[in-house]
Amino acid sequence: MFTNLEKCPRNLLICEKSSFLNEKSRHATHVAKHFFNYKVSVLIPECGIIPSGLRSVVSSFSKYYLLKNLPVYKLLEEEFLEKVVKKGCLYALSYKTRIDQDNTFALLPTGQVILSVDKDTYEELGLEGKASQYNHRQPMRYVVTIDLTDKSMAAGGKRYKRVMWALQEKVQLTSDFLLARYSTGGDGEDLLQSFFSQYSSKELRPSISSQTFKNLLCPSLDPTDLRGDTRSCDPQQFLEWLGAVTMDISCNNEAASFVSAYCCPEPQSSVSQALLCTTTGLLLPEDIHSLLEELRRYFDEPRFTSWLSVTVHGFADSPVSWGGTEHGFHKGGENFYTFVLFKNQDYWLHMATGANDGCPP
Amino acid sequence: MGYADNMSESVSYERLVFKNASVYHYMKIYLILDSDDRKFNAAHFKQIVISALRDLYGEIGAAFPFDVLKFEEDTLTAVLRVYNSGLVKLWSALTLLGSYHSEPCAVRVVQVSPFLLALSGNSRELELD
Amino acid sequence: MSNMAAFIDLNISYTADKKRLQNIIETAAHLGYSTVAINHVVDFQQKKQEVGKPKCVSELFDQFPIVQGKSRPIKVLNRLTLMVSEASHFRTTNEFKLYDIVAVFPKTEKLFHAACMSFDVDIICIAVTEKQPFYFKRPPVNGAIDRGVFFEISYVAAIKDSTMRRYTISNALSLMETCKGKNVIVSSGAEKPLELRGPYDIANLGLLFGLSEAAVSTKAAVSTKSLYSCPVCMELQIKHAL
Repeated sequence: MFTNLEKCPRNLLICEKSSFLNEKSRHATHVAKHFFNYKVSVLIPECGIIPSGLRSVVSSFSKYYLLKNLPVYKLLEEEFLEKVVKKGCLYALSYKTRIDQDNTFALLPTGQVILSVDKDTYEELGLEGKASQYNHRQPMRYVVTIDLTDKSMAAGGKRYKRVMWALQEKVQLTSDFLLARYSTGGDGEDLLQSFFSQYSSKELRPSISSQTFKNLLCPSLDPTDLRGDTRSCDPQQFLEWLGAVTMDISCNNEAASFVSAYCCPEPQSSVSQALLCTTTGLLLPEDIHSLLEELRRYFDEPRFTSWLSVTVHGFADSPVSWGGTEHGFHKGGENFYTFVLFKNQDYWLHMATGANDGCPP
Repeated sequence: MGYADNMSESVSYERLVFKNASVYHYMKIYLILDSDDRKFNAAHFKQIVISALRDLYGEIGAAFPFDVLKFEEDTLTAVLRVYNSGLVKLWSALTLLGSYHSEPCAVRVVQVSPFLLALSGNSRELELD
Repeated sequence: MSNMAAFIDLNISYTADKKRLQNIIETAAHLGYSTVAINHVVDFQQKKQEVGKPKCVSELFDQFPIVQGKSRPIKVLNRLTLMVSEASHFRTTNEFKLYDIVAVFPKTEKLFHAACMSFDVDIICIAVTEKQPFYFKRPPVNGAIDRGVFFEISYVAAIKDSTMRRYTISNALSLMETCKGKNVIVSSGAEKPLELRGPYDIANLGLLFGLSEAAVSTKAAVSTKSLYSCPVCMELQIKHAL
């Protein structure tokens, strides 16, 4: 009768090993396709203060905006499409909307608008979509994808008018939004502001914090042993340890200890200190890519450590995880990836998702 | 549980896929009591959870292995680690925990994940207003 | 008209203590419930009981608490629950219309049958503080399901007392054998903030009651109130002219 009590929701972990020097390395694509990032933490063993290169990269992360009560159709207005959306690199995600309960919206930098809505809203909208993959027997949630790059969505066209009518007249979907645009020049940000001046908005910068841990046990990693057969610990153990360090959990316990038997996986070594640098906000893939490039250069100089790691957490309530893959919450909405960078420019990439998610790329 | 497909295009390239490979689930929880002045340590807290398990599942429940990875005495916040097979039982025991020394209490579950690392990056904690 | 998918708790015990009621509703909002119903119980076994006019919910707060993680306030409904031990106790009156939800707690098998087959109610309460005093027979249970009436298990007794916890689980499992998990809702019945639990806690607890999480089943309209609902308060939908 109680077989249910032993079951757990599924989760996926994809681990890749490659080299930044490999022409076919897909690290840049993986980063670019994970659109909505909430937190990045960099862990550098044997490092006491934040390296200046790293500091300058994270402090130059793009700013973003919190827009209040923005109607979704505003993101589709002709002028905005022409001047902003079609130039690319624009990210928008509804804020404080929970994908397990609320209507949730996103505008991807690739020009798609995703409306993840409940059944009633879906029916009222009357736009073509499909049932969420994560429904139970009866569909309760639907996903409408509007591809703004499609010819049929050309402004003034029949389909465009229909979509605008649905979003303006049928159901005026409105939400608070986080919005950011990556631009190398300075024009992008002012441009955004000029469009949304009539809405209450707040300009925000990713917040940065750092801390140093003293005398900790650290797994020894060998770039050739991704699976963790002998010269490294296995990927699950490594990620668990990384979580433990990030959350300041003691890794020094005995099997017999009452409170916790957790200990650092083997092979391990003791390091005198480690730096954890964390950035939070709406973080753009382009910026994370720059961060990765900077961290690769960390090994240009001789270092005591042979590896360092970067973990990127996605928004739990984003309607997509990688690319256009539908993302749901189930019990945690986890979607994150971790790069382990090695001295010799080899890297490992661990990509993890929970129950309501597709397989990472 | 996992399998590898080695692609021949690159010597060093390797890809592993793990489905449900994590043997644990992690829970971030906190305890609330009617009176704020009560203080206890991690061992004491673990004892409370063990008795909750015993109340609902008997001696087998009380024997169920789990770890209190972290406990903050000021906020009564804990991070627990439990085998997947024990998650539902631990969770339900925490849900039905209603009193401590005849004082009403409740356990609030903040986050549950098969990845400890996910507990360090909960976007629902983002407060910008 | 408002439409939403949300977590709801349809059973917050009414108390004349306004402060306490406010506290419970604040806690519910904090736990992520978008909608709660304040439950007014009328027990005809006690003397001088009659269905009165519920307090207008707008008097509770100047500003309703914001649901955790959202930017909108919690919705509060009024619910009437009639404890019925004789057929004469159940008379549909005009006062019913003053409540958003009407529930009945039948004390005998005969009344349970009548409640399932004919009473104009949204919810039938299942005993949690005593051993189920009669059998759940398939015809009335199926009749209720066909009519879109929901069975309610409230969990507060299971939190407060270990004997009642046994009754709650046992009665829920008996019900589940008959109704196959259809048209079951789990609600709190909370009288204090500390007696409330979160929506995901309840989804997990539902497994003990024999509800499968995946059995968030047939979406059925609850009688005339057009209240859309599923077990375990998961993905509950409410469609109300509020």
